[in-house]
Amino acid sequence: MDWFPVWLSLRVALTATALTLLAGVPTALLLARKRFPGRNVLEAMVVLPLVLPPTVLGYYLLVVIGSRGPVGRALAAIGVEFAFTWGAAVLAACVGSIALVIKSAQAGFETVDRQLEQAARTLGRSEWSVFWSVTLPLAWRSVLAGAVLAFCRALGEFGITLMVAGNIPGRTQTLPLAIYDRVQAAQMGEANALALIAVAVVVVLLFGLSRLARLRY
Amino acid sequence: MVSVEIVKRYPGFTLDVSWRAEKSVVGLFGPSGAGKTLTLQCLAGLIRPDAGRIVVDDRVFFDAAASIDLPPQQRRIGYVFQGYALFPHLTVEENVAFGLRDRPRAERLRRSAEVIERLGLGGLELRYPRELSGGQRQRVALGRALAIDPALLLLDEPLSALDVPLRRTLRDELRETLRGFETAAVVVTHDFTEAYRLADRIVVYESGRVIQSAPRAELLWQPASEAVARIMGLANVLRGTVVKATPERIQIGWRGQTLEAVNSPTRSYLPPPDSPIAFFIRPEYVRLIRKDRGAPDPQHHMNLMSGRLVGEADFGTVWTLRLRLDAPGAPAQGDFDLEVEVPHLVYEILEIDRDRHWQLSIHRGSIHVLPA
Repeated sequence: MDWFPVWLSLRVALTATALTLLAGVPTALLLARKRFPGRNVLEAMVVLPLVLPPTVLGYYLLVVIGSRGPVGRALAAIGVEFAFTWGAAVLAACVGSIALVIKSAQAGFETVDRQLEQAARTLGRSEWSVFWSVTLPLAWRSVLAGAVLAFCRALGEFGITLMVAGNIPGRTQTLPLAIYDRVQAAQMGEANALALIAVAVVVVLLFGLSRLARLRY
Repeated sequence: MVSVEIVKRYPGFTLDVSWRAEKSVVGLFGPSGAGKTLTLQCLAGLIRPDAGRIVVDDRVFFDAAASIDLPPQQRRIGYVFQGYALFPHLTVEENVAFGLRDRPRAERLRRSAEVIERLGLGGLELRYPRELSGGQRQRVALGRALAIDPALLLLDEPLSALDVPLRRTLRDELRETLRGFETAAVVVTHDFTEAYRLADRIVVYESGRVIQSAPRAELLWQPASEAVARIMGLANVLRGTVVKATPERIQIGWRGQTLEAVNSPTRSYLPPPDSPIAFFIRPEYVRLIRKDRGAPDPQHHMNLMSGRLVGEADFGTVWTLRLRLDAPGAPAQGDFDLEVEVPHLVYEILEIDRDRHWQLSIHRGSIHVLPA
């Protein structure tokens, strides 16, 4: 059996989860804590990837990063071809899953009593320190839950990936695309094996998450 | 020294207060929603006033005119929040040491151990807040604020989260702690007894303004106005008409008779005759006249009047009686004129449960005039 799609998907999902945490946690904190003009627009934009058809999202991404798009052309100028690489698959996974990180982390941050953060400030702690020693320790379960959901979503990402990264065996063919391919080619045995692997990874992760959620802080 | 002068506007509410205090415990007293907590938040730098100036020990925390606004991190203020706001994910020891992070490890440990010891929290170092009693939580919150050796300690309703039996014990304990650490402090409370027990000076708040700021004894005996007397929850806050005012005495027309009161020795108040005047009579200073001792002597029994009991309430050791005067006209306080407080023992000796009609007298020193 060809293990490449499994490794590629794990690599793509892990990278995408790391990137969505990096971008999603500050966004979630912003949405949970600040009132600013355009906040409602930002909140709506965050949910958009969850409700739009993946092929529509993929289409627009391709318009931007494709060889004729603004970003694609800028990248091409410095000799980088981004569309139809594994990097494009990471981007697709990020777009598909970042809403899950943001919404879950935001809900977590909103449950943290602001008075605790204020207490930390009066005790001399900087905003950075307040986040790491009060806000995050009290909301980490929600952040972790968001990360796990995002990872699972990234692992299963199909539509956007197909549009922006293609389905190139040995290069951009992720697990869900490979399963689709095998079914098309009537290689049911391999399709079955790949599907079982996907189920196993997700079940193990969700089980682990539910165990962790029982811990206090 | 604390000097507060702040204006903060919200839709439908404006805080506009100004008070000063020397190094001592200040009580901010008033009904909920009067702006007491908001004042604390401005002092701590958690809310930025629209205008004014805040100075603590010659350090300018805030000055709108000079665009000075120190962030809370730089004010070194110990804030004990209502409900305490202990960090639930940290132990008692970690909570107390939370504000000491910038100090060297050895000093941090020494300081938190010292505070834990002084507040009687020894043995609880590794407990989490949820494993503590209300009183212990209060002490942890206090310890966390005191550990940073604050320039000023702020306490927001420090006893309101506690059960009633515990409140009195902890109130006195808190008083000792504040004296022991010799920290200037501002205590917010809506309970006058609490303010009186804890503070040296009391600032009375009403809807965003200060209506009196005075040493506690002065406030107790000379509320500055009818509004202050009502917020203090005093009984028998009454209104009459000035008959004659001299620097020593004020005669007040009330319920068809003339009462004689002592004018305030510190703020001689000379309203013109016929002007309205407010005054109060402490219910425990109204004397019921015993019938077995002959007729009352006007020399000893000033402000003599008679009335009938229309209500009574048993508070265990004391009884509160409501009397309606025999004088014609509408009673001063709904269906009664005066509230009188007598010890339970007196109630039994005088057999008040059987005898419902009494003569009473009020010494002129027990009628307190409230300037308009």
